[in-house]
Amino acid sequence: MNRKIIPFAVAGVLTCLVMAVSTVFAFSGSVKAEKVESDVVWSSPFSGAESMKVIDLTGDGKDDLFVQSPGYLTALNENGEALFGFGYEQMKTTLGDVTGDNVEDIVVYHVDAGMSVDVINQGQPATIADTLNIGVPSRVAVIRFASGPQIVLGDSDGNLLALDSNGQVLWTSDFAAGEVRGMDDVRIGGQAYVAIASHDGTVAVFDSQGGILWQSAQEQLRRMRAFDLNSDGTGEIITGGEYGAFKIYDAANGGLLFEKSLGQAVSEVREVELDGNPSSREIVAGGKEGGIWAFSFDGATARQMWSASLSDKITEIAGIDVDDDGKQEAVVGDDSGKVAIFTANGTRHNLPDRTSGIARMDVGKLGNERYVIVADLNELQVNKISFSSIPGFQFTPLIVGGIISAVILIIAAILASIPGKPEMKVAFQDTSLASLSAQRRMLKESIADVERLRQAGEVTGEAYLARLKRLRADLADNEAAFKKQGYNIKVETVQCPNCGGTLELGMDKCEYCGQVLLS
Amino acid sequence: MESFLCAFGVIAALTLILFVYLLNTARKRNAPITSSLTGKKEFLPVYITLADKPDSIVRGMDRFVAEVQKTESAGDKWRWAPMLIFLGGLGLMTIDGFLFLLGYKSLVFTAGGLALWVTALIFARHLRKSDSKDFSPRYTDVKNLIRTLRDDIKPGGTFNGHLDLTGAMLSSKVARTSKDTQNRITEHFRDEWLTFKAKLYDGNILRVSAIRKSKKRKSYWKRSPISGKMKSKPEKYKGAAQFLKVRIAVNPDVYVVKPGSAFKIGATIGKYKIAQLNTDGGIIDAVADSPFDEVEAEHILGFLQAAYSLLQRKAS
Repeated sequence: MNRKIIPFAVAGVLTCLVMAVSTVFAFSGSVKAEKVESDVVWSSPFSGAESMKVIDLTGDGKDDLFVQSPGYLTALNENGEALFGFGYEQMKTTLGDVTGDNVEDIVVYHVDAGMSVDVINQGQPATIADTLNIGVPSRVAVIRFASGPQIVLGDSDGNLLALDSNGQVLWTSDFAAGEVRGMDDVRIGGQAYVAIASHDGTVAVFDSQGGILWQSAQEQLRRMRAFDLNSDGTGEIITGGEYGAFKIYDAANGGLLFEKSLGQAVSEVREVELDGNPSSREIVAGGKEGGIWAFSFDGATARQMWSASLSDKITEIAGIDVDDDGKQEAVVGDDSGKVAIFTANGTRHNLPDRTSGIARMDVGKLGNERYVIVADLNELQVNKISFSSIPGFQFTPLIVGGIISAVILIIAAILASIPGKPEMKVAFQDTSLASLSAQRRMLKESIADVERLRQAGEVTGEAYLARLKRLRADLADNEAAFKKQGYNIKVETVQCPNCGGTLELGMDKCEYCGQVLLS
Repeated sequence: MESFLCAFGVIAALTLILFVYLLNTARKRNAPITSSLTGKKEFLPVYITLADKPDSIVRGMDRFVAEVQKTESAGDKWRWAPMLIFLGGLGLMTIDGFLFLLGYKSLVFTAGGLALWVTALIFARHLRKSDSKDFSPRYTDVKNLIRTLRDDIKPGGTFNGHLDLTGAMLSSKVARTSKDTQNRITEHFRDEWLTFKAKLYDGNILRVSAIRKSKKRKSYWKRSPISGKMKSKPEKYKGAAQFLKVRIAVNPDVYVVKPGSAFKIGATIGKYKIAQLNTDGGIIDAVADSPFDEVEAEHILGFLQAAYSLLQRKAS
């Protein structure tokens, strides 16, 4: 091929490749310029938040911010002003409408006269039970059974006690030997049940009479959550183990739907609508070493969508639709104060770091805006999250590809314009008969010289053959020049059919490669 | 953090190496290329078959030099281009840096910049390929020698022979090998870099061969007497010497050979010292050696002139 065409041919292939890759990137939507920013709307000192929720606690139709530490609980309005606040000893709280006024109440399970339960209805506390036969508070939940709401208490020794809305004991259980680490309402065939897990690895589902629907045991547990992941009226129970076991159970019968070892203790599990498809829900799990995994559950089993990591123990996960695309992003906080937002494909956007570890996070509407509320070990911060992107940025690979292609083509043009290097073996040859004859004589003398040198032992082996090969080649060139000029010449050389080396006519074996010559 | 710093260090080092490489490409090469073995400058490997009239050879040699320089100058014109592409790549990457400052994370322009850097490297490699080493001083020397002798050549006569500047220490030029008492192999090179034959105006036939003989000890493994470890010893250049063989078949109609006092065995003529001399049968056969690494054309011409002192023109 012409040496001027080769650079263009190579450049053409490269340009096609570059543009193909650019087009794939441009139209796959994988190239984006997006950023998530966070502005602090207000903040308030609050240390050691253990529970936090954006919810209407006053019945005015506006959400308030409920936050609770081990010794104090309070409700703040949209501007961060305290609506009410109470101190309790070793309390655990839950939110639910116990009084039936369609306003969420705060249920407080605390140490007072023995173990007591208070219900705070629109800021008015009332003790509904005391001197209860149960241990130090660990978990409390309001379960809306078909027969009516029940307050289910769990202590640090694995004991359970259920109360009705008036504080009457309905049932008790000592189903496990370890601290109750998870308590959630769960639907089975549309009916409410309560799923409870203890630190010793026991998981059980109870009905409204305290009967155990099923019970299973596994490694020590850190987290248990119950969600109806595929909205079929029967929930799934998700557990996270002390040694990394991540399991999803069918709430109806305890059948194991999915199991995976995450390699580190599971410190948090939350449901986040990552893919925007309401028929399936996604779960985001966080690990003690900072690992983050997103799973999608399709009704039968789960598959991992992506994994990522932060630098410390994941302490909280919440979901918020930052960019209003109908898909939630996972807001994840860790024990070192880092907060990051992960999108459906695992892309990470960092929010400003906090000075202390993240304790709780929640997403909700305070006033007219949706906010992300972050409680670290020292304060509450209400943040407005804003999302922005550069329009049309996804097509920048085409621009970059175009630039690269143009440069490649220019280089090809330059290379084609550079003449090839001349041959380093040159012959200045006069083509007159006398000159060619003189050259022939000279070559034969030189060949004879080389032979003589070999016989004298001055030249041996490879050098002899190399010199002879070159002289014989020159002799063949000389013969060719004779023929070209139309002079008579007695041919004295022959070419080896194997190595191409020039040999003297009549030789029956090539001196250079050993090929037998039959001519 | 350490792995990040390590990766950053590696990337920075590679970028610096690329920058220096492209900068050197952009600058015209000044430093000569030297042989790692002899430490001497390396030259363009050329092999020229001489079978033409002296003027044609001289013109051809000039034309060849011009062709080589044309290729090189065509490449020289674009030597700055790879550096420009490199800076263009840097510019693209800066866009990503700017976006990063605005809070956006993008690697599109960085990827494009890297692609441009690779392109610049390949382009620079091609441009460097068009670089040529300098012509050996022997090339000009031989051209001058032919130019000087052209008036002494029989009208219409040609020079026949070759000028071999491909290198003195090629494997194809190993004349023989020898071993010493420690089994170390020494290679003896014989490089007949110039040979020509010409019929002169006075009817004499002149044959000249310039030979460079050199020695190199091959690398070998040796056990250290102290540590007992095997160590590789590099190859070693053991020196070189020049030889000149001159043969003049004297035209008996014009000359008689009359051995003189100046041109005799042991006489030093220029850089050469006559080692063998035979004038029997009307043919002068002389072999001279020289301890010098390089012998210029003027010394060869001087030697030929001295050899002619043995000839005495017959009375007409």
